[in-house]
Amino acid sequence: MKRWLLMFSFGFVATLLAGWTAFPRVLYVKKPQPLEFRHKAHAEKSGVAECSECHALRDDGTFAGLPATEKCAGCHADKIGESQAEARLVDFYIKPGHETPWLVYAQQPANVWFSHAIHVKRAGLKCDECHGKYGESDQVKLYEVNRISGYSRDIWGHSMSRLRRAPGDGMKMSDCENCHHARHVEAGCLGCHK
Amino acid sequence: MKVSRRDLLAWSAGAAAALVATPVPWKLLDDTSIWSQNWKWIPQPSRGPMEVKHSACTLCPSGCGLRVRTAGGYLVGVAGLASHPVTGGALCPLAFAAHQLNWHPERLRTVRHRGVESSWDDARAAFVKACGEGPVIVIDGYPGRAASVVMEAFGNKRGEYRAFQGTEWKVLAPYTRWSGVPASDLGYDLENARTIVSFGAPLLDGWGIPGRFTRLWAKRSAGQNEPELRLIQIEDSLSRTATRAWRWIAVRPGTESALASGIARVLLEEKLVSTQAPLPDATVSEVALRTGLDISTIRELARMIVAQQPAMAISNNNAPSIAALNVVLGAVGERGGIVRRSRAAKSYQDAEAPISSARAVVLDASVPWSFIPKTDAEVFRFAAWNGGPTKADWLLPAPGFLEELSDVPTAPTASVETYAVAPAITQAPHTTRSCAAFLASADPSLTSAEKVIHKRCADLYRARVGALHSHQQVPVARLETDSQLEEQLWNGSVWVGEPASGESILCALKKWPADDADSPVDSHQSWSVPVMPALATKLYQESGLRESQGRIA
Repeated sequence: MKRWLLMFSFGFVATLLAGWTAFPRVLYVKKPQPLEFRHKAHAEKSGVAECSECHALRDDGTFAGLPATEKCAGCHADKIGESQAEARLVDFYIKPGHETPWLVYAQQPANVWFSHAIHVKRAGLKCDECHGKYGESDQVKLYEVNRISGYSRDIWGHSMSRLRRAPGDGMKMSDCENCHHARHVEAGCLGCHK
Repeated sequence: MKVSRRDLLAWSAGAAAALVATPVPWKLLDDTSIWSQNWKWIPQPSRGPMEVKHSACTLCPSGCGLRVRTAGGYLVGVAGLASHPVTGGALCPLAFAAHQLNWHPERLRTVRHRGVESSWDDARAAFVKACGEGPVIVIDGYPGRAASVVMEAFGNKRGEYRAFQGTEWKVLAPYTRWSGVPASDLGYDLENARTIVSFGAPLLDGWGIPGRFTRLWAKRSAGQNEPELRLIQIEDSLSRTATRAWRWIAVRPGTESALASGIARVLLEEKLVSTQAPLPDATVSEVALRTGLDISTIRELARMIVAQQPAMAISNNNAPSIAALNVVLGAVGERGGIVRRSRAAKSYQDAEAPISSARAVVLDASVPWSFIPKTDAEVFRFAAWNGGPTKADWLLPAPGFLEELSDVPTAPTASVETYAVAPAITQAPHTTRSCAAFLASADPSLTSAEKVIHKRCADLYRARVGALHSHQQVPVARLETDSQLEEQLWNGSVWVGEPASGESILCALKKWPADDADSPVDSHQSWSVPVMPALATKLYQESGLRESQGRIA
């Protein structure tokens, strides 16, 4: 093989490897959540069957988001198990009355307006169609924050190529548009942007 | 192995070729674009609970129904309120972007005295001193509001209260001269008219209350050869209204009022109307010569107007001959014409009348920036936005869009009385004060706008007339307490009175009025605020929804 072709190939392969493996590691910083949380265990032990039992819609249709510690205190006012996470929840958050500073995977830019009520109640979407199968997870995953944009990796999705993604992997504007397009629902710019 | 320069170039070429096949350039492009949206100096909507509130627009006297979205207590979106009984969801382009107005770069944030930053204490001290030295004239842009009551009380006590006459009032002024009925009592009964002759009025370009005529035209006229509502546009150029009109009559510029006299002459000569009125001086042939129309066209036009009654003429200026044509048509005080919608309104001294003597002149924020009082007195001008160079001695920052409690009385041109309340939905980010509150601070015996609104609600309840309109219609007589009525008004309901009864208005037209030199009224002046945010300006300029007289045909 000619020498220049060999060097070209080296450069080509090295960049491909760096681009697909090293770049994501450099771009995203991993941060642990303040507490360990097991969706699966909660569903099995406490009989919570629906996401909305904790992540509720208010009476006026607005989404309450993450449950307040007051909700957790319904069962965990005092320690009922042996886990360190529960001890931390009770001692650091429930008893002092502080909210748990969860890092929100689905946090969108401030100029986005999204109604869970419309999507869940009117369109009948399941939570995992956008959020993935968190409800079946046995531990909370690491929160990966993009160094440049400041948003979670869950917005872009875990596949860097955004090809062959699992349902609910990615929450970019194009994901919203694709879903709307597939369902023939027009929202317009002001339908989502403040 | 020794690495040569040639090797390095080959390696770089390979790397560059591969780079486009990695996510690096595409992801960096995406991330940097998002990063650029989050620079700290770019205003961001607040995070916080999203709320939707119903209110009324206070940018002009039309008082369109608003659906306002807030995030964390700040305005983030404005849309029309479909359940509003008059506007039905229509808004002007300015109102659509009004939530941005409070963040406009030209927002007045501090008190300024002759261009130099000052304080409210200094302004108040200067005003109190002026009050002690001579009469004070208070000028209001939208009379009839609760705040106007405070301003009027102060003006009557310390000098004079004047009202800035908007476009719509000026157009109705001839009827006031002939009948004594204040222009603020009169309205156009468009809904019952079957022929409307517009003398240059931009009826489909944002005239009057947004959406009112457009919707009427769309329902009863658009696309029909023999429409239920005939719109005849008399104008020198093919405006947007003219292109949509049932008939467009092109006349020479500035001869609209002459044509009105000609039409009236034909109507009276050929006894096409039963009204008794003085004959215009100009003959039909003279009118034909001035307007550039054929005599037969003028005669045909007159017959066309009376063919489908009720017919009404609408003018774009205060030419008395066009108003007199309405008298000839019997359209004054009749259904489908100029109707008297109320008896409560007052006549006020015109703000533009000469000021003989005054120590100080106070301009409310509702007075258009372009209005400059011709006086040597000390001028205190309230404004939410800086409109450019001004002769005012004191520039006082007023609350911006939906930052203060206000009420919205009946809009000019409306044929039925309405009343709405626009509560303060968001907090003023700066130290602002309304003109009424400033005057009340100088004279503690004055009442507050809030108390006036409270009293007005109690009066409406006691009168037991009309109904509250929101998503449903509730007659006032069915409400149990006055506080119930007030609460509903605060939540965005609109009180609508009984339709005008068609009370006759006697117009003493002894002599046919002389054709004044036509002075078209700029139809956008009465509603515009001093400055507009970038988006609204673009919409305004490019959509042409509100045409000005300066447009190119």
